[in-house]
Amino acid sequence: MKTRTVTLSSPEALASLLMILPAFAVLALFRYSPAISAIWHSLFSWDGFTSGEFVGMDNYRKLLSDPVMAASSLNIGQYIAIRTTLNLLFPLLAAELIFHLGPGRGQSAYKAIFCVPLVVPLMVVLLMWKFIYDAHDGLLNSLLRLAGLSGVTRDWLGGFDSALYAISGLGFPWVTGIGIAGFGMLLYLAGLQGIPGELFDACVMDGARGMRRFLSLELPFLSRPLLLVALLTIINTLQSFVPVMVLTQGGPGIASMVPGLYLYRNAFGYDHFGYACAIGVLMASVLVALALLYTRLESRAEEAR
Amino acid sequence: MSASPARRGAAHGALVVLAFMSLVPFLFMLLTSFKSNEQFYHSYYAFALPPQWGNYVDAWAQIGGYFFNSITVTLVSVAISLLFASIAAYAFARYRFPGSGALYAGVLLVLLIPGTLTLIPAFVILRDLGLIGTHRALYAVYIADSEVLGIIILKTFFGSVPEELMEAAALDGAGELQTIRHIVTPLARPALLTVAIMTTLSCWNDYLWPLIVLPDTRKWTISLGLVAFRDRYAGMSAWGPLFAGFVIASIPLFILFFAFMRQFVSGLTSGAVKA
Repeated sequence: MKTRTVTLSSPEALASLLMILPAFAVLALFRYSPAISAIWHSLFSWDGFTSGEFVGMDNYRKLLSDPVMAASSLNIGQYIAIRTTLNLLFPLLAAELIFHLGPGRGQSAYKAIFCVPLVVPLMVVLLMWKFIYDAHDGLLNSLLRLAGLSGVTRDWLGGFDSALYAISGLGFPWVTGIGIAGFGMLLYLAGLQGIPGELFDACVMDGARGMRRFLSLELPFLSRPLLLVALLTIINTLQSFVPVMVLTQGGPGIASMVPGLYLYRNAFGYDHFGYACAIGVLMASVLVALALLYTRLESRAEEAR
Repeated sequence: MSASPARRGAAHGALVVLAFMSLVPFLFMLLTSFKSNEQFYHSYYAFALPPQWGNYVDAWAQIGGYFFNSITVTLVSVAISLLFASIAAYAFARYRFPGSGALYAGVLLVLLIPGTLTLIPAFVILRDLGLIGTHRALYAVYIADSEVLGIIILKTFFGSVPEELMEAAALDGAGELQTIRHIVTPLARPALLTVAIMTTLSCWNDYLWPLIVLPDTRKWTISLGLVAFRDRYAGMSAWGPLFAGFVIASIPLFILFFAFMRQFVSGLTSGAVKA
């Protein structure tokens, strides 16, 4: 439909404003004003009930010297690095395998199967992995014992050395990611299917196969989906602390603590709402910086095409 | 592009292994959901007879209430969010007036506001509005969460409705509302369905908001209920009934997936774009 330009005093403009109003009222109440409130209250010592006491940059200063925050930041860095690598490599491998089967040969069946882990409710996935890692009855230890590796078995989520890696390794064999950034394989497959067939014919003439074909022909076409999946995985891993909360509560000790969970604890555990807001603002700045970096890289990838 | 049969065979082999391993947690869940405790320890990997259908009865007694709460919360949130998003999207797609561009930019801006930033003040606002302990608190945050992408997706879609169809309807004497009802809405069905599925997924999967705003266990949604159920049953290693509960909790999304596979996948992918 064509967009009609109308004046502000026209009945159409009035009707449009009325139609936009409900959506905006909800956003104003639960998006815009909380965002501003979070930034404002990060400057306060606030328990969420009283109006609080203005403390300037104190919360941020405290953040810089907070050992739990330092440990959480290191943890989230490791966690993000591992998950991004897994989310880029394994779905790409599967997409390559499926694509080169050629059309019709079971492609859609594989696609559907790899979608299944995304259809299972997130909580069921998390709790199944909590079971898999279970020290006594868990599938992982049971398989290890079966393979004669009893020495390797352990309480995966309860160990100081293993908790963070266990959480990072969730979703083996990682073709389908966990939660919302899990569909990389579908994006890569769509990217591969968008490459003109003549280019593949040229590859055959040149005798380029395997790795050479991948690097010289396919990878440039996949740079945008790869970039998108990387960004979504980083944003999602940085923000969503529910997997950590459900699997380890950040423990043992603070071995798997992440900033999001620390924010939650500060607010709903210790009533340090102002401090929690400061953590939120810090995390939001990282996210916005990443999103801006992404748009720069994205437009460069577009130009390179 | 044609691979040799040997290469194709190897690819199939690798994919079958990857597919099987991806499904292992869920196959194990289904298998174990029919086992008693004794069968679980005796035949950990194998199917055990007789199947314990009673596990499902037991699980339903534990989570049935949460299941229906989630159905209600999801349906109400999807309906209102779809309504708000579609009327706003229609206005944005159809009319341009001074300030409309800025308003739309305001919608896009919300994508840059992360949920962790708004979590605490949004909770305080909900509390001050007296909504803690009610499902209305969830409707509010879920609508705010999903209507933004709804507006963006639907605006794009409405914009692509052929102008000729709208003109033809106008020539036939149809008013704007009739055109919306008979031309735009039927054409927009796939897009509406995509947005609805995207919202359903995030409502059904959310754990954090119910945890924060619902102190009363009778109001709990399925994600929250499953965690409590797990803590009780894993404590006594009653994996059979527990996994039966997991299977029950998975059924609604699976029905949607098989009924609307294409829109489900697009709902899945578009839902990821928000921060």
